[in-house]
Amino acid sequence: MFLALREIKFEKIRYSLIITLILFISYLVFVLNGLATGLSDLNKSAITQWHASTILLDKDAEGRLSQSFLERSDQQKINGQGTPLSQYSALVKNNQTGKTNAQILAIEAKGFIYKNLKISSGMNFKKDNTAVVSEQLKENGFKIGDKINIANNDIQLQIVGFTPKASFNVAPVIYTSFKSMAKINQAPVNGIVFNKTLKGNPQFKHSKLYTITSFISKLPGYQAQQLTFKFMIGFLYIIVFIVISIFLYILTIQKLPNFGVMKAQGISTRYLILNTLTQTFIVAVIGVSLAMMLTVITAYVLPSEVPIAINIKQVLTTSFGILIMSLLGALLPIRQIIKVDPFEMIGG
Amino acid sequence: MSRLEFENVSKKYGKGMSEFLALDHINFSAESDQLILVVGPSGSGKTTFLTIAGGLQSPTTGTVKINSEIIGNLSKNQQSTLRLNTVGFILQSYNLVPYLTVDEQFLLVDKVKRQHISQEKFLSILKKLGIENLGKKYPNELSGGQKQRVAIARALYADPEYILADEPTASLDTHRSKEVMSLLHELAHQNNKTIIVVTHDLRLQDQADKVYQIIDGKMSEVLNIDKSAKKNLDFYSK
Ligand SMILES: Nc1ncnc2c1ncn2[C@@H]1O[C@H](COP(=O)(O)OP(=O)(O)O)[C@@H](O)[C@H]1O
Ligand SMILES: [Mg+2]
Repeated sequence: MFLALREIKFEKIRYSLIITLILFISYLVFVLNGLATGLSDLNKSAITQWHASTILLDKDAEGRLSQSFLERSDQQKINGQGTPLSQYSALVKNNQTGKTNAQILAIEAKGFIYKNLKISSGMNFKKDNTAVVSEQLKENGFKIGDKINIANNDIQLQIVGFTPKASFNVAPVIYTSFKSMAKINQAPVNGIVFNKTLKGNPQFKHSKLYTITSFISKLPGYQAQQLTFKFMIGFLYIIVFIVISIFLYILTIQKLPNFGVMKAQGISTRYLILNTLTQTFIVAVIGVSLAMMLTVITAYVLPSEVPIAINIKQVLTTSFGILIMSLLGALLPIRQIIKVDPFEMIGG
Repeated sequence: MSRLEFENVSKKYGKGMSEFLALDHINFSAESDQLILVVGPSGSGKTTFLTIAGGLQSPTTGTVKINSEIIGNLSKNQQSTLRLNTVGFILQSYNLVPYLTVDEQFLLVDKVKRQHISQEKFLSILKKLGIENLGKKYPNELSGGQKQRVAIARALYADPEYILADEPTASLDTHRSKEVMSLLHELAHQNNKTIIVVTHDLRLQDQADKVYQIIDGKMSEVLNIDKSAKKNLDFYSK
């Protein structure tokens, strides 16, 4: 600690440079992570809120709810387990707002999705032609009591309540009853969602059971998008490692005579290594902390259209990852310190 | 009682064609209460001798014993501890850590070593060396002579039994050189230190208890220090 701090204080410019580098790389990682989570939420937050385990879909639908129509014979094999789902994607508007994309989902009042639905304001839907909608629609100017016009359809749904941000396939969700849905598009059963293990071991002819995780991964574009982010973030971790490695390596090489002198004084290699690690740790912590602040400010300043979701847990795990990479980056220079022969440095 | 012994110590650098015998069968011993001067021209093997004495490198053949322990038998860690607690080096160059102020150079000794010389005694050393007011300065703000004196003080601060000094007066004027030598002399006799100074500067011999000379890696004691010795040594003084 002693040497680490003194040296940072003495070599302000050098260490500010490393801190700035770590700051920007960490910032980039945080923002990319935030975007990945934000976009992922746009795809699946509604699904996550169901707390479901599996979903039954048409065999030929490749896991797509909108392409899936369950055969009556298969539906009957389930004996009323789970809760059926009907989906209709539509452009919606009220009298004041412009058109916006939405996913209308019909659910049964006796099913677990309806029962577990969180209502942040207003109440759950009961009567015909009423709906609970995602809070995102508030930002489009929808209020409780508003009538929702559905493009190419005469039916209007009245908003009776809001549910916390629920999004499916990048569009806000509108929950309504099968009866109302029937008036919009006949309400076919597109899928049946389960939150318990399916009993009776039914053998389906035309349908297939998906875990919710694989259902999410088959959402259009979802996997490609997430993989791209993971790739970029993974690369940034490697860059942190390399940058720290190179920087510390060069610094260490320049400092070899100092290490030689200290070794000649009888200061143990362990003490010197510990100081280098502490120094790396201090520098990385400062860089990462500054990046956190910058990220919070960014999330605050960015317009709400940018789907960035910053959550503390993720930022902390990411920071931890960057710290580990930095310390790994310090290993190569440490080898140099171990190898320093005090005689070679001071002899002559 | 401290005792440093060289038994038939030789040091070869390089291999094959470029092999070079820097120390040639040296027998030597030093004890506490002694200020020993080793004089020799440049390239005669003084630094080699001193670094082997302190365990910074090992002899090619022969043994070096410190307080009857053979240095070569100690592990790297034990050698490091030996340098920390028992031997203080004053080196020819690169003595100070560039990013520590003068005060912090001493503080570093505190950090790694528990006990050290008394503050009172230390202050008087600083005063004798004329560096009591340099505490807040970094090495790059000091003159060569000031750096050298801080390095001497740092070695003394750790209160080692042995002090091994390589040309400690190289960047000092005659007056300062004399003072440094009398300080070392005083330490040797009042604090029972074993002090070995290697130098090419013949003027330092007044304060020494014993004088050795090294020529081409061969060492011999100079018995009559004063005038006649000076005459004997004249051939390599410039
Ligand atoms: N690491 C080394 N490798 C090869 N030769 C060396 C090395 N160190 C010193 N020498 C040679 O050994 C001789 C003695 O060197 P040194 O002990 O530094 O002399 P001094 O300190 O008296 O000037 C010189 O000829 C020098 O060139
Ligand atoms: Mg030398």
